Amino acid sequence: MHGTAPRWLAWSWVVPAAFLACFLAYPLAVLATRVATVDGLTKLMSATTWHVVPLAVLQAAISTVLAVVIGLPIANAVSRYEFRSRALAQALVTVPFVLPTVVVALSFRSLLGSGVPQGFALVVVAHVYVNIAVVVRIVGAQWAQQDGDFEAVARTLGATAWSAFRTVTLPTLRPAIVSSASVVFVFSFTSLGIVLLLGDASTRTLESQILRQTSVLLDFPGATASALAQLALVSVILVAGAIATRRTPRRRMRPVFRHPLPGAGAGRTTLLAVIVLAYAIVIAPVAALVVSSLRASGSWSLAWWTGIGSVDASTSRIGSPLSALATSVGFAMVCALVACVVGGLAAVAVLTRGRTRVVSLLAIVPLGISSATLGLGTLLAFSRPPTDLRGTWLLVPIAHSLIAVPLVVAVVAPALRSTDGRVQAVAASLGAAPTRAFLTAYGPVLRVVMLASAGLACAVSLGEFGAASFLARTGSPTVPVQIVRLLSRPGEQSYGSAAVLAVILVALTLGIVLAVDRLGETTRRGAAQA
Amino acid sequence: MRRPIPAIAAIASLIVISACSTASTANPTASPSVSVAPRGSVTLLTHDAFALSDAVLADFTKQTGLTLKVITAGDAGQMVAGAVLAAGSPSADVIFGVDNTLVDKALAAGVFEPYESSQSGSLIGPLKQDPNVSKVTPIDYGDVCVNVDDGWYAEKGLAVPSTLDDLIKPEYRDQLVVEDPGTSSPGLAFLLATINRYGDGWQDYWQALADNGVKVSGSWTDAYEGTFTRGGGQGDRPLVVSYATSPPAEIVYATDPKPEQPSTSVMTDGCYRQVEYAGVLAGAANPEGARKVVDWLLSDTVQADVPLSMFVFPARDNVTLPDVFTKFAGKVDAPAQLDPATVNDGLSQWLSDWGTVMQR
Repeated sequence: MHGTAPRWLAWSWVVPAAFLACFLAYPLAVLATRVATVDGLTKLMSATTWHVVPLAVLQAAISTVLAVVIGLPIANAVSRYEFRSRALAQALVTVPFVLPTVVVALSFRSLLGSGVPQGFALVVVAHVYVNIAVVVRIVGAQWAQQDGDFEAVARTLGATAWSAFRTVTLPTLRPAIVSSASVVFVFSFTSLGIVLLLGDASTRTLESQILRQTSVLLDFPGATASALAQLALVSVILVAGAIATRRTPRRRMRPVFRHPLPGAGAGRTTLLAVIVLAYAIVIAPVAALVVSSLRASGSWSLAWWTGIGSVDASTSRIGSPLSALATSVGFAMVCALVACVVGGLAAVAVLTRGRTRVVSLLAIVPLGISSATLGLGTLLAFSRPPTDLRGTWLLVPIAHSLIAVPLVVAVVAPALRSTDGRVQAVAASLGAAPTRAFLTAYGPVLRVVMLASAGLACAVSLGEFGAASFLARTGSPTVPVQIVRLLSRPGEQSYGSAAVLAVILVALTLGIVLAVDRLGETTRRGAAQA
Repeated sequence: MRRPIPAIAAIASLIVISACSTASTANPTASPSVSVAPRGSVTLLTHDAFALSDAVLADFTKQTGLTLKVITAGDAGQMVAGAVLAAGSPSADVIFGVDNTLVDKALAAGVFEPYESSQSGSLIGPLKQDPNVSKVTPIDYGDVCVNVDDGWYAEKGLAVPSTLDDLIKPEYRDQLVVEDPGTSSPGLAFLLATINRYGDGWQDYWQALADNGVKVSGSWTDAYEGTFTRGGGQGDRPLVVSYATSPPAEIVYATDPKPEQPSTSVMTDGCYRQVEYAGVLAGAANPEGARKVVDWLLSDTVQADVPLSMFVFPARDNVTLPDVFTKFAGKVDAPAQLDPATVNDGLSQWLSDWGTVMQR
């Protein structure tokens, strides 16, 4: 630790630790006291618990490699170059991440036709589609702040573009790449919705096994064994990721400077191709949704759009889709706030030495907890007086935050870790108070990455369906829950209204992410002038 | 130098944790007299598909003076899983929506305080003989059946299949989509229908279905909306496992002007009957109110509202059905139903055997 570190830095782990203790460890402990039996431990050793693992690991590994390979060039294009619609492109890439899995599955179906065989390949494609955003956002946040001077020097000294990238750029991006890759791996390995909808025997995950064990077979010892197996495997991945990024070259982060697209030549063609490809990948399924929302009785119609306020107005079933929108936006704001405070403070812990650093690692663990397990634990822990939180709206955004916090840590921690902390010592030696010196060194980076994470947290909350669906609740459901309910009954109106809500969800996400990105740009420019 | 701060912080977080835990472990076996639930309210735990008209819900308060608080907890399976784990110290007073594949497990786990509804005499014949009726109360039922796109067959000049045996004939190759019984409730019901029909030979029947090109989807939504020719997407399979009430639902949720006829019909052979029960939760804070809810659910008012709200049939006899039901819902004379205890014993093995046959 630098001698000049502000004292509060050593406290920063308290908030995330208390949050995780209360909303993660405690519900799981309550659940464990109900279901922990010798039977469960015996099942942990049994082959039925583990037989899905090898294929699930393979599936997640392939999904991860492809998401990184496709995500990196897109991150390069949208975070380092200035072009018309750059902001839109960057926001659009985030959209697939927020689409409820049932919508992703349906739009894939209507794009590809039902002749496409379900199974391994389709699941991998869907995982890549959904997770490109994770790579683009996490790596892009880092990449945007590199001015490219060192690469330019390397090129001047005769290095090829590839070797300049490999020896100069890549090492500084490594923490962000590893960080995003481990998140994508964990998402694909613990995937539920896509696996249920598009998969077959070769794509089962422990999470889908847990769902079957809890809610079809009521086999709680078996589910406990699967959940423990999943937690163990995910922890191994996350710890490996953390160890792989421990030694990282540090360099001066600068306020962002985007290059204009290079003039005619191979470089320009490649960049343009990447940009067009990124648009195509994201827009195709969304366009299919828009079309569905505009088709009624075989012709073009606005019926679903104009009728959206009155769907099921007089029954308790669905409630107004418009009130679901209000619910979702409110939850997204609360989720972003909670996730940024908790995740940001957890990430700051990487700047400290020793035990406190463990917190930033622990904050990623929720990604590995089965949502069925956590949902049931939360139900047991918080649905009886006096800690009865069902009547309040708090449980759902908290459940969303548990998923968003790890992403915030994944964005913020690598950026802080590779920031040159010597500025802090310099500032302190010039007489700045510790907190001031800290902010001088890390403030500009923090502002940028915190806003990027806020956008990601909003997106998580808007699209989340899994964990929240297990929670007992009253009041208006969120938009994804609403969409799923509409899609669970026949009739043109159900499908059309679900398509309208999905399009609104996409537009909402775009709006929020664009606004957050713009805010980020403004603060960056502010920092540049300072 | 050892800083004191981490120690203080550790203590602080311990306090937070213990505050959490003492708060909710206090009074785990709260007796009704010390419960904090307001005297005038009763809490109903149910699944996401629960629905009644607003006017009918308001009627409960008018009749009993009690406020009805409705809490949803995921799909039926998720709801029962939560209720089983909380058996004896529940988070609500009364539960609705436990179906006949799970009711035995819930009863065995002590979820219910036995209560026979004062209205149970009004149940339809088969449900009156339900052995569980002295403990839990059937509220509605529905049949899971193969649904048919009639237009598709008319266009092809092909006869519509009418029995389970037809489905494995070569002329119906590559036409059926079913749901995975491990992840979908109608999928499970269809598997049980085939086990009921073919007994020990059910795996051979499924092998024949697989050889005849049956497609398996993970959920009803994916099967009906995505793969069935009459769903919202561009599906290409004219046969789907769905409900006997899907054709009326298609009319109710159609665009205006409503079509005269649904585009689909029901194959009434090989249907499986699902019954939904309500019951008083053991350890309820307001058991008296809970019993009133059970009776109310079986009252004429609610039973008449059930068809168009949830697309199921009322369990009460002599309830007037809406026109769209009498005209278009599949009329199933002999639905399959396995003994709940048999299902309870066999389910895990059946799912595993099904997975082996279907390579899923």
